[in-house]
Amino acid sequence: MSHTQIAETPPARRRTGGDLVRTVVRGVGQLLMTLGIVVLLFVVYEVYITDLFGHQKQAEATTEVDQVWASSEVGATNTVIVDNPDQLVTDPRQRTPTYQTLTGAGFAKLYIPAFGADYVFTVVEGTDPDDLYVGPGHYASTQLPGQEGNFAIAGHRVSKGSPFNDLGLLASCDAVVVETQDDWFVYRVLPMEDEVTNWAGTSRAHCDGVGVQTGSYDSVFGREITVPSDYAQVLPVPHVPSTEVPDGAQRLITLTTCHPQFSDAQRMIIHGVLVKSYSKSADFLPPELGES
Amino acid sequence: MYVWIWRHLPGPTAVRIVESLVLLLLVVALLFFVVFPWLEPYLPFDRAGV
Repeated sequence: MSHTQIAETPPARRRTGGDLVRTVVRGVGQLLMTLGIVVLLFVVYEVYITDLFGHQKQAEATTEVDQVWASSEVGATNTVIVDNPDQLVTDPRQRTPTYQTLTGAGFAKLYIPAFGADYVFTVVEGTDPDDLYVGPGHYASTQLPGQEGNFAIAGHRVSKGSPFNDLGLLASCDAVVVETQDDWFVYRVLPMEDEVTNWAGTSRAHCDGVGVQTGSYDSVFGREITVPSDYAQVLPVPHVPSTEVPDGAQRLITLTTCHPQFSDAQRMIIHGVLVKSYSKSADFLPPELGES
Repeated sequence: MYVWIWRHLPGPTAVRIVESLVLLLLVVALLFFVVFPWLEPYLPFDRAGV
């Protein structure tokens, strides 16, 4: 078609049946492409944007809990400088929480040295979506750090700050350290299911106090993959359907997150046991935080 | 759809390009701050609790 021919065609085009079909087909095509882009944008939102919001909320919760701790009596008076961490080792039976938890507000900090020295998250009370957006959330019906029973926390794997993205990398005996207003509690990941048979022979570093579970605990392992409805994982004795903390119960920690990555078809569960506790003192950090 | 929008944007081509970018940003912001946060709880991606 040459320019002279274009000039000769009248400016007002008549609508034909072919035009209508073309318009509809083009409209459907554009709609489908647009939907595809919206889905991609959702992925960007879920993986990156919610992380930004989550980090911001987490930073606010950390500032808040730092202020509470700074104004608490223990933090203000216990300023003895210690050279030997053993001086601060405490018997968890003698420690009772002196703090109150408030839904959505931070009350503890979670350190996992295996994920790097900078891995710390403020743990908030509650596991509703709003709570978990801030950071790992404590199942309100479970026990508090250091207590007999089960201190259970849920956390997002991908999105909202992604606190528990790397739980699959935890090995048995890795330290999971919890700081509260008055105490440091050092938990260690229990033996994995496939390590149980040869556990007696292992004498790896940091495994003091970590053993194969027996009795009512004999099906509790360091990592378990389970169905989303498996609430028994966070009960005082995991898998035992009772909310009562039995006499002589262990002091466990349980971390739950979604599994596999980018899905929530299943849950990944990490169980650990309390091996040591320290009372807090100015400028004192548990040596366990230096492990990697 | 996009052709229709382009035809109805006022001004010369350069201005229209700026206008369409602004429209695009508005739509993305609407998705990120309103639509997706509302939609998310209904989708099976990151429920972490048991």
